[in-house]
Amino acid sequence: MSVLQPVRRFRPRLPRVPLSIMLVSAIILVIVAVALLAPWIAPADPLRQDLLGRLKPPGTVGRTGVTYLLGTDDLGRDLLSRILYGARVSLSVAVLSVLVSTLVGVTLGMMAGWFRGWTDTVIMRLVDIMLSIPAILLAVLTVAVLGPGFLKLVLVLGLTRWPRYTRVAYAQTLQVANLPYIKASELAGAGAARILFRHVLPNIAGPILIVATAEFGLMILFEAGLSFLGLGIQPPSASWGSIMSVGRQYVERAWWIVAFPGACLFLLVLSVNVLGDWLRDRLDPRSRIR
Amino acid sequence: MSEEGETVLDARDVAVHFGGRSTLFGRPPATVRAVNGVDLVIRRSETVALVGESGCGKSTLSNAIVGLQPPTRGSIAIKGRQVVGAGRRALNEIRRDVQMIFQDPALSLDPRATIGATVAEPLSVRAVARGGELKRRVAELLTQVGLRPEHATRYPHQFSGGQRQRVVIARALALEPALVVCDEPVSALDVSVRAQILNLLVTLQKRTGVAYLFVSHDLSVVRHIADRVVVMYLGRIVEEAEREVFFAAPKHPYTRALMSAVPEADPVVQRAKQRFVLKGELPSPANIPPGCPFHTRCPLATEICVSDRPELTPRPDGARVACHHA
Repeated sequence: MSVLQPVRRFRPRLPRVPLSIMLVSAIILVIVAVALLAPWIAPADPLRQDLLGRLKPPGTVGRTGVTYLLGTDDLGRDLLSRILYGARVSLSVAVLSVLVSTLVGVTLGMMAGWFRGWTDTVIMRLVDIMLSIPAILLAVLTVAVLGPGFLKLVLVLGLTRWPRYTRVAYAQTLQVANLPYIKASELAGAGAARILFRHVLPNIAGPILIVATAEFGLMILFEAGLSFLGLGIQPPSASWGSIMSVGRQYVERAWWIVAFPGACLFLLVLSVNVLGDWLRDRLDPRSRIR
Repeated sequence: MSEEGETVLDARDVAVHFGGRSTLFGRPPATVRAVNGVDLVIRRSETVALVGESGCGKSTLSNAIVGLQPPTRGSIAIKGRQVVGAGRRALNEIRRDVQMIFQDPALSLDPRATIGATVAEPLSVRAVARGGELKRRVAELLTQVGLRPEHATRYPHQFSGGQRQRVVIARALALEPALVVCDEPVSALDVSVRAQILNLLVTLQKRTGVAYLFVSHDLSVVRHIADRVVVMYLGRIVEEAEREVFFAAPKHPYTRALMSAVPEADPVVQRAKQRFVLKGELPSPANIPPGCPFHTRCPLATEICVSDRPELTPRPDGARVACHHA
């Protein structure tokens, strides 16, 4: 190591955001914007079928004069428009179900880790039970009983995926709960709710954020799977998952039906994971000074 | 000197045992007797040092006193109010009068809370003060411990170890407690900062009349700050004396061994010093020797030490010692 290092310390303290983070943030912003603006920017009605113009490759000019930029699907619908509208469904299902499972999972995990005793036993055994039931089976059963629908889908996904958060929150809470600053808070007279949400939660948020970002991608894929089984989003409305599920049958003849939503999905999930990883580091006040 | 002043802490026959409950499978694990029948009285404005090697039950006893660790047996009263068996609400009332300062200042402050929020917590949780009044009180507390009011918006990582310990002290004193349990408050600090923190504790004691239970294994620190010294060995008090008496005439062989382990600054004195070396290891508190718990390592031990446990008995100079031979 050289003694003479470039003098870096004296640079003005600008919020230094790496290029990769700017890039993934831009991708996420674009996808969110597109989802919000779908009705205004979609070149065609995503539901209008044209059976004679089915499975046309990208760039085909349709009989009505519309250019199918990304081609058409098996019913001759404009793939680009379907992807734009599908972003709404995929994003909102993923965001909402991640929120539901985080809320449920983290609260239960912190309670188990804090109160110990029978609370711990009951919650953690419930987690074991939940994890031993195939999630898809549980989802199928629930939907079979409740019937399909957007909100039900969110609840089904959210309420089958919480055990992962619980495990992480539980382990982290066990670690944090014995630290002197938690004891000090107890001595200060703080109750369990205050200790858990004011002191424990901020200090275990990092690992939970990682789980949440990983789960976000899984949720989109899960939704796709359920939609494929006919238990999620009901046709004719589309999500990225359902578009891909249908396109799977035509993959030799029409690669674009799977490729484009798949690419969007890949970009979104990757971006969210990268951003989440970075956020975890940034949210730690100890690293803020750098 | 110890006669005047109201009693702040009155602990009687406190014992804390761990484990020993039978499990579903196999035999129950051996009971760990971390604290095994301790009597301790602390009066207003008094500093009592609790010394002993690690594993002797110092920290367990301090946790029991502040109500973080329910004792297996005995009674602990803070200003006449019973900690043992107190419900949550009663315990919270008692904790106005007993607070704690922890060993490692890096771990005693929530890294994600500002200094201001940390110091304000005891006040805001109990609705002692809010809004502008709360801010004023926090600023006052920070000034009292030698920090500046504008430090309130900063985070713990922006402070040095000594400064963090000042914040911890400010939080402990926020409710003007009668007793503060200091669990090795300076052992994690640089030597240069130690004296500052110790002097701060002394200054605050003069101003507020707070009593300290000062847990330490560092006899030089104890000599500096304590009015009275209590030595623990394997969960029991083996010697208790006023500071002058304690340092001038240590009686229990264990105390003498501790003393002779303190290095002298002057090499001539150091070489001339009679060493009192213990043999063997500290026995496990899960398996305390019968009779005098110290007999396995004691150079003075005889048969009676193996069969009879010596009680704490008063000596002419006011010290109380648990030894058959000293």
